[in-house]
Amino acid sequence: MSLLKKTPLNKVHHDLKAKMMDFAGWELPVWYTSILEEHQTVRSGAGIFDVSDMGRIWVSGKNAGTFLDRMLTKPARQLEIDTAQLCLLCLENGGILDDLLVHRVGTSRYLIVWNAANIKQKLDWLFRWSGSDPDVVIEDKSSNTVMVAVQGPDVQQLENLRSVSHLPRFGHAQTKIGELNVFVARTGYTGEDGFEIISDAANALPLWESFVEWGVKPCGLGARDVLRLEAGMMLCGQDIDTDTNPFEAGLGWLVDLEKGDFIGKSALLEIKRRGIKRKLIGFQMKDREIARSGYAIFHSGQEVGKVTSGGHAPTLGVNIGLGYVPVELAVIGTDIEIIIRNKPVAAQIVNKRFYKRGV
Amino acid sequence: MNPKENKYTKEHEWICFEGGDKGKAGLTDYAQTQLGDLVYLDLPEPGVAVEQSKKMAEIESVKAVADFFAPASGEVLEVNQSAIDDPALVNQDPYGGGWLVKLELSNASELDALMDSDQYDKFVAELEAEAEEEKSE
Repeated sequence: MSLLKKTPLNKVHHDLKAKMMDFAGWELPVWYTSILEEHQTVRSGAGIFDVSDMGRIWVSGKNAGTFLDRMLTKPARQLEIDTAQLCLLCLENGGILDDLLVHRVGTSRYLIVWNAANIKQKLDWLFRWSGSDPDVVIEDKSSNTVMVAVQGPDVQQLENLRSVSHLPRFGHAQTKIGELNVFVARTGYTGEDGFEIISDAANALPLWESFVEWGVKPCGLGARDVLRLEAGMMLCGQDIDTDTNPFEAGLGWLVDLEKGDFIGKSALLEIKRRGIKRKLIGFQMKDREIARSGYAIFHSGQEVGKVTSGGHAPTLGVNIGLGYVPVELAVIGTDIEIIIRNKPVAAQIVNKRFYKRGV
Repeated sequence: MNPKENKYTKEHEWICFEGGDKGKAGLTDYAQTQLGDLVYLDLPEPGVAVEQSKKMAEIESVKAVADFFAPASGEVLEVNQSAIDDPALVNQDPYGGGWLVKLELSNASELDALMDSDQYDKFVAELEAEAEEEKSE
């Protein structure tokens, strides 16, 4: 018995005999052949991910821009058409409801792409604040569209992406791949060059196959998680959530306190004025043990925080993690210990952009 | 697929006699497939006493941490250093170079209660059929 939601590519995953898992209520592949192989493909070739679990919300109408300016931590109306920016959706107390991408598609037309977690809570939040304004139209098109991410250094050479190879990072275009109408953005969550592509759900199979037949390798959630952690990218619901604020998460650069009023602004101003107490840090294990989400972080014999993400970093050949520690300890080079199997294991605080792709 | 000379547990460990009251044990092929790429093995030191069905080690894949239960009681004689150095060996050759521990068995008759290879083949086939059924619903 399965109550999990299925993406338009569900059958493809089963036909490929992928190992499936529950991710935020979606049945998605963890891996097809091997997490390490799929990870390596994205670092050195090109891989394709079914990311249809991510929400795709269109916001349009005369007041769409002013509405989003009020909801988001960065100004939407200053965004140029055909570009996108990363920003946050915060609660009134400054807690992070989600990190998301907002694409400006037209003068008063925007596309939000956000994480799979807490979709209903986030949608309710948008509807609550849009109220009965007829000039703000919010449409959740997540279930009648498909979304794939094609990532890796070889994407630049793919025949079916030639028409968008000119796109700058965070740029997007509405174009065609073969006969299929698609929305293509130069975005991703892997630390590599890549594109994210949205199309009608009915196009899911031909879209997927148009890449796979060119040798792009299907990659699962396991690789996606390793890739994003190596690149120091946070997972909402794990590294950041409604109990964390942008400044302690190191996401102050996504918050524009100069812009007009937005939800969470007064709380965030106050947090900034008072200063943060803890900070998200990256750490590297000194030996071969692996830190995992939830493990305790110790310093000088005392528990000082918790690991929020941790794992093996194949590109670097070491084991890494993210976690919160008191701000006075959040200094690169500080020795910490992670409690693994009831034993303190040595680690060191390092820059959380563990992996940076070469140029 | 699963070697005839081994005995198997429901937790997917295998064990075989290695002369007299000594046994060699590891993770089954089904288990390594389910766990995926292994990256760390936390095996006990030689000399440690273990008890059948009690957790004696942890096996870590990229994605998860799994318990390894002692397939028989006894004392750890040796652990496979090559597998510790390169856990991928367990993925590549779970019944050969990817063995995990050698035990001095305290009660060799414990192995009688474990599944033989035919029974274990059937046990795995049933698990796979259940998983298939779940998918089709």
